[in-house]
Amino acid sequence: MDSSQIIKIVDSYLQSVLKQGLQNEGFRFPLDPESIEDGDLKSFCFRLSLIFDMIDESCRFSEELARGNLQVSASRKNFFTMPLKGLQASLAHLTWQVNQVAEGDLNQQVSFLGEFSDSFNNMIESLREKQVLEERMKVITDVLGEGLLFVDNDGIVLFANPGALTLLEYQFEEIDCLNAVKFFHISTSGENLLQGSISKGLEYNENDGVLIQKSGKEVPVMISARPVFKNEVLDGTVITFRDISEQKKYLLLLEKQAMTDVLTGIFNRMKFDEILSSEIQRSKRNKVPLSLILCDIDHFKQVNDKYGHPAGDKILKRLTKLVSANIRNVDFFARWGGEEFVILSPGTDSEGAAQLAEKIRQKVEHHNFKNPEHITLSFGITSFKTGDIAMKLINRADEAMYRAKENGRNQVQVYSSAPQTTRPFRSI
Amino acid sequence: MKEYLFMKDVYTFQWKDLGNLSEGRPNLGEETSVLIYRLMQFTFKEAFSKELGIKKTMELFADAGKIAGKHFCSNVLDTSLPFNDFVANLKEKLISLKIGILRIEKADLEALQFTLTVSEDLDCSGLPLFDETVCDYDEGFLAGVFEEYTGKQFNAKEIDCWATGDRTCRFEVKQTG
Repeated sequence: MDSSQIIKIVDSYLQSVLKQGLQNEGFRFPLDPESIEDGDLKSFCFRLSLIFDMIDESCRFSEELARGNLQVSASRKNFFTMPLKGLQASLAHLTWQVNQVAEGDLNQQVSFLGEFSDSFNNMIESLREKQVLEERMKVITDVLGEGLLFVDNDGIVLFANPGALTLLEYQFEEIDCLNAVKFFHISTSGENLLQGSISKGLEYNENDGVLIQKSGKEVPVMISARPVFKNEVLDGTVITFRDISEQKKYLLLLEKQAMTDVLTGIFNRMKFDEILSSEIQRSKRNKVPLSLILCDIDHFKQVNDKYGHPAGDKILKRLTKLVSANIRNVDFFARWGGEEFVILSPGTDSEGAAQLAEKIRQKVEHHNFKNPEHITLSFGITSFKTGDIAMKLINRADEAMYRAKENGRNQVQVYSSAPQTTRPFRSI
Repeated sequence: MKEYLFMKDVYTFQWKDLGNLSEGRPNLGEETSVLIYRLMQFTFKEAFSKELGIKKTMELFADAGKIAGKHFCSNVLDTSLPFNDFVANLKEKLISLKIGILRIEKADLEALQFTLTVSEDLDCSGLPLFDETVCDYDEGFLAGVFEEYTGKQFNAKEIDCWATGDRTCRFEVKQTG
């Protein structure tokens, strides 16, 4: 084979490659150099075939790299593959770096890779900012005194902050994968509004909810639930709840304080007015008697003047205790003002009320109050009549008590419609 | 009594022997060229190999590199950092001192085996093709750095080099003791 034939064969091959690409056969020297007789031509063709092999290897090497095969190798002396080997090393290092980032190492940076370096480093910066936000959120949820749960669309607990675990008295492992709704008392209607709001992605608020702790104890809580959306699709619900036991206790205390006399602990006048109105209505409705007893400590000013107000306060307390022990459970006993008291006795007529008053009068008269030893009460009694309003009842009882004072004190006077308007009561 | 630095039979390197560069070179500064560095290194290789043979020369270069690596680690790097941060620190220093661009391809922290690459290596990047790796000093240097950081013995072997046709030097670094 001479040189012109070799050139023709090689040229034909090259034309085919330029026209059709490499196909699956790769880039192969189209001749077997061994078949060439001329020594110089043979050597030349050997060298040329080596170049063809290097080009072919380089193509395969770059193909494998393009497929993501970073383990591919190429012969050391192949200078066509040398730049690609640099790329291969960069990709191998990037693979390691990306794995590090996935494991939480946000200190990775890429250098000397042009635009890729910028993009990668920007991505790291974004991840760092997100990490800061996450850490802030964790601190916020950790220090939050309220309980906070994050549940999926079925109500299954995915996250609970320390406040929630403390209130519920559970470890997270115990409530993970439990339905959060079981921790809250359902409404008396039987419909679980919380479950409904979780599954439908609705807001839920309950100011008077009940939490059931692990021990079974029920705790009053205020509950809120807010849905979370991701790409406009419901992606869970945040439930917060706050222990309102102390708040409830305080409210009860305030309510009690609003209706009780601070010194003696019995009903105050404001509460008594409320009760009186209510009992008048009941008496009208059920047509049952209702009597009112007004009483006043005799010469109480002198007690205060002689023994001092602290002693006077003690008298008031001891008196209310004594009277409370001598009335029925259905009777209402209140401090009307100063040293005046009132007893409302449902289901009792004047006679019965007078007997009750006389009993109390005697108890008081014979009781040792220490400082001073003895005090007395004057009583005025009246009963509800058709057409009565509260004011009239009080006024009549007051008039009767006034008569008791005028007639010598330490006595019971019953209001009557006779000209004298009151009559004394003496038990037999 | 006078203290001689190089006139004893045996010299033990100390970091302070490097001297005060800012005092010594107020005009030319602390940097020089890669050309001069390689000129010194390769001519040392020639002189040593003619006296001791190439194998012994390579061993000595690796030993010298290990000494340098250990001192470099204890004087320049922060060995209190966790591994990833330490590597980042090493990488940053190698770049700033223009020694090379260090990258990690594999890291097994339990077995203490690593595959590291150094691109634009000071010793070899841009060299013509030889049939062997030439970064003996770097092998020792990396082993020295890891020994100083971990307190364990390490060996580093260059498996790919610019001189062998790669475009980045690749080292297998393993704990040996």
